[in-house]
Amino acid sequence: MTSIPASIPAEAVRPTATRSIDWWRWGGRVFLVFLLIFTVLPMAWMLLTSIKTQFAALQYPPQWWPAEPTLQNYTRLLDPSGSIGKEFLLYFWNSFYVSLATTILGVAVAVPAAYAFSRFRFPGRTFLFFAVLLRNMFPAVVFLVPLFLLMRWLGLVNTHGSLILTYLTFGLPLSIWLLKGFFDNIPIQLEQAARIDGATRFQAFLLIVMPLSSPGIIATSIFSFIGAWNEYVYAYTFLSKQETMTLPVGIQRFFTEFATDWPGLMAATFMMSVPVVVLFLVLQKYFVRALTEGAVKH
Amino acid sequence: MAQVVLKDVVKNYGNVYAVNHVSLTVEDGEFVALVGPSGCGKTTTLNLVAGLIPMSGGDVVIGDRIVTDLDPKDRDIAMVFQNYALYPNKTVYRNLAFPLQMRKLPKDEIDKKVQAAAKVLDITHLLERKPRELSGGQQQRVALGRALVRDPRVFLMDEPLSNLDAKLRVQMRSEIKRFHQDLHATVIYVTHDQLEAVTMADKMAVMNGGFLQQYDSPANVFANPVNMFVASFVGSPAMSLIPLAAVTRGTEVALTSPEGWELPLSPANARKALNAKSPKVVLGARHSTVKLHKSQVPGSVPGKVYTVEPTGDITFAQVFVSSAILNISLAPSVQIRPDEPVFIEFDQDKMHLFDGETEMALKAD
Amino acid sequence: MSSVTGQVAYAGAPVAPKRANVFKRIFNHRNDYLYVLPALLVMLIVIAYPVYYTIELSFFKTPPNLQMKDKIFVGLDNYWAILKSDSFREVTINTAIWTVASTFFAFLLGLGAALSLHREFAGRGVMRAVLLIPYVVSAVAASYVWKWLYHSDFGVIGALAVQLGLSDKPINFLDNVHTVLPSLIVVNIWKEFSFAMIMLMAGLQTVPEQLLRAAQVDGANAWQRFWHVTFPHLKGVSMVTVLLLMVANFNSFIIPWIMTGGGPAGASDIWITQIYTIAFGRQRYGVASAYAVILFIVMMTLGYFYVKALTKGDESRAG
Repeated sequence: MTSIPASIPAEAVRPTATRSIDWWRWGGRVFLVFLLIFTVLPMAWMLLTSIKTQFAALQYPPQWWPAEPTLQNYTRLLDPSGSIGKEFLLYFWNSFYVSLATTILGVAVAVPAAYAFSRFRFPGRTFLFFAVLLRNMFPAVVFLVPLFLLMRWLGLVNTHGSLILTYLTFGLPLSIWLLKGFFDNIPIQLEQAARIDGATRFQAFLLIVMPLSSPGIIATSIFSFIGAWNEYVYAYTFLSKQETMTLPVGIQRFFTEFATDWPGLMAATFMMSVPVVVLFLVLQKYFVRALTEGAVKH
Repeated sequence: MAQVVLKDVVKNYGNVYAVNHVSLTVEDGEFVALVGPSGCGKTTTLNLVAGLIPMSGGDVVIGDRIVTDLDPKDRDIAMVFQNYALYPNKTVYRNLAFPLQMRKLPKDEIDKKVQAAAKVLDITHLLERKPRELSGGQQQRVALGRALVRDPRVFLMDEPLSNLDAKLRVQMRSEIKRFHQDLHATVIYVTHDQLEAVTMADKMAVMNGGFLQQYDSPANVFANPVNMFVASFVGSPAMSLIPLAAVTRGTEVALTSPEGWELPLSPANARKALNAKSPKVVLGARHSTVKLHKSQVPGSVPGKVYTVEPTGDITFAQVFVSSAILNISLAPSVQIRPDEPVFIEFDQDKMHLFDGETEMALKAD
Repeated sequence: MSSVTGQVAYAGAPVAPKRANVFKRIFNHRNDYLYVLPALLVMLIVIAYPVYYTIELSFFKTPPNLQMKDKIFVGLDNYWAILKSDSFREVTINTAIWTVASTFFAFLLGLGAALSLHREFAGRGVMRAVLLIPYVVSAVAASYVWKWLYHSDFGVIGALAVQLGLSDKPINFLDNVHTVLPSLIVVNIWKEFSFAMIMLMAGLQTVPEQLLRAAQVDGANAWQRFWHVTFPHLKGVSMVTVLLLMVANFNSFIIPWIMTGGGPAGASDIWITQIYTIAFGRQRYGVASAYAVILFIVMMTLGYFYVKALTKGDESRAG
């Protein structure tokens, strides 16, 4: 090997550096700090209030930090022997039951539909697909009257069945859309290979496609669950009996019954948010993917 | 192993014919390449043989059974896909075992066959890995292994080498050929690379626009292309095609260019030229059959050098002749420069003549 | 030359095809419909029927007891009643302000957050997660928390304003016709800006790094790189995001309903809360249905653009 000697020509000059401070980066950081305060402050105040006594909460100027922090608001909500605790835990269970049933049924209905939309080219496919998607466009309130009449006719008023059936349709369009995206990303050759290897179409779906689309199924499940857990309008209209109520509606009863009990309400609000926030934090990856799938083409 | 017959096979989507009345017979133990540019219908044809898409018309026969109405799983075939289609959530072992499990073979027999196939392909050390932990070449081997783990009547291969890098492709090419020879397997092999087809196949079926253009041994396809499409598709560099016009000069026939030069034809070629439906005749010449001269010699035509590409042992030159570009191979010792005027001499015995209207090869009788 | 096939045809025109009968095609695909059937059935019961029934009811005067066999046909009277009512103009203006302002600011904050978070740095994942929490918690919870923050006597925001010298006494945010709507819009933005953020972050990932490098070499500064390279790549995502935000805001009910119930004096009343009040407060289901039909029409227009924005590229995917 020969190496060619390199030398800097004598006439070369070194201009003054043009790299300067990246103002954009600093601007971004300042902006993020502002956003963080905007986001966290309400949540922090909710938590701080929830560990105050009623007396401490209703002071002006406010106690920025509770003088005598207490967990009594939480123990009261979680104590099954007290009347408030009994009620709260019942609502909590109702919410959980309805959300879980919605999620499971939703996946069972959405998976085959999404698969068909992804793989088959049957007449009316596009029309049906968008008819299903358009459901997202209609506000819940618009459907309240006819659905209320329908539920009464079906004898479902004041039952959880009415909510599960309605929530199914909330989740379905999104679930179908998301799952279709996941199925689209699974190479069709995998199924073809399975069918050549001796599997029926259904076996190919069950043994090859389903395991591969489990991230999509998890993602849609989170969405259905959170959607059902947070739903208010239908629950508010369909359920009038106290023993069937879900949390978002039930919590309002606390508020009216104990009109000025802000610390109690904040504690209940916090408790209500815990399941969805935990679910979100644990399965964040899937949640984010579910949210953006379809809108962004990779 | 078995023979495969395609009879009048049609696949159309409304007005679009992906496969247009294709008929061919693949003999038992034959290696047949379906070759053509992308969108020519070769992969669709393969999928029809596999039964992965429903046929619009015609029949497929494998061995002694008409399989037209059978599911892929009942056709007793194996297939290797371009993207390998290895089940990503299964280990290599379970990928190989899957076709046997689906056929409900006993566990110990599955194990025996998987181990045997793994040994043949030299992937025994990979059996516990997942497909994503393998290199492209290793994935390719596993895909091949999954195909030959049970003895299918036919192997279908859909561009199995096109995802590999150039060096691996050459290596796998000879290995696949080797498998074919050892197993006496019937293979239908789809590729867009005519070189693969020429080097591997016993016969090649050239397709274009859904039609089967020519079905013959690579040597015959190379020597006697039936039309301009096949002529320009097979061979590298491609056969050069120069559109000209035939004129009669007494008993002689010559080809004339719009620029005014004339190329007298031999008696055999003259008879061919006269069989054209109109005076429009296209002259085809492979790079190795033309000679380049620096000055005019009898029977040569004028041209102008466009590019010169030395590759070491051969120099390729592209020369403008009339309205076309002609590929010529030269000895590296020949010194020419771009834009240099040159003269081209054609070999009358090795030139091809095509009907300018129908684009079909012209015959002497 | 016996092996040359007789069917050689080059670039030949295909044989004139028989137009496949639609019914035959449906029949050929009959098994495919089985997969979609359960979903369609549910959607049919819970959507097609209510849509139909809403349109029907909008032409009737309905009894307040929901005994619909007693309804009386009134033609377009319900529609005229709405369009001529005094509140319609005010509610529509509120709806427009609510929808446009919420969407605009949520998108802007989301865009800023997405751009700031696009760069890799320690704690970025945590930051993204924290910013997303408001989007995940229920609007009911958000409404109560903010109602407490806005409390006229003991609210922390009013108290902070006094501390910082911006005001000499606690501010009455929700009981003031001038401040109520902006206050609610802030809550709405708090709740949904991170949706825009997450969509745009996903969009940013599709911006080719090489293009940004090329622009840098070509001498573009940070702003020019954003405007000429990044932003054009975000167009598609931005369209979908803005549309989804618009739809969600247009349809939002919980925040205004729980925090103010549309008050004071209708200053925070939007279409949806108005429809709810007419239907379940005043028991005038016919009028509420007519209102809903008007809303349908607006939504369908937005929906048209939504579907259009979504389908870009879907059909090109081979199946």
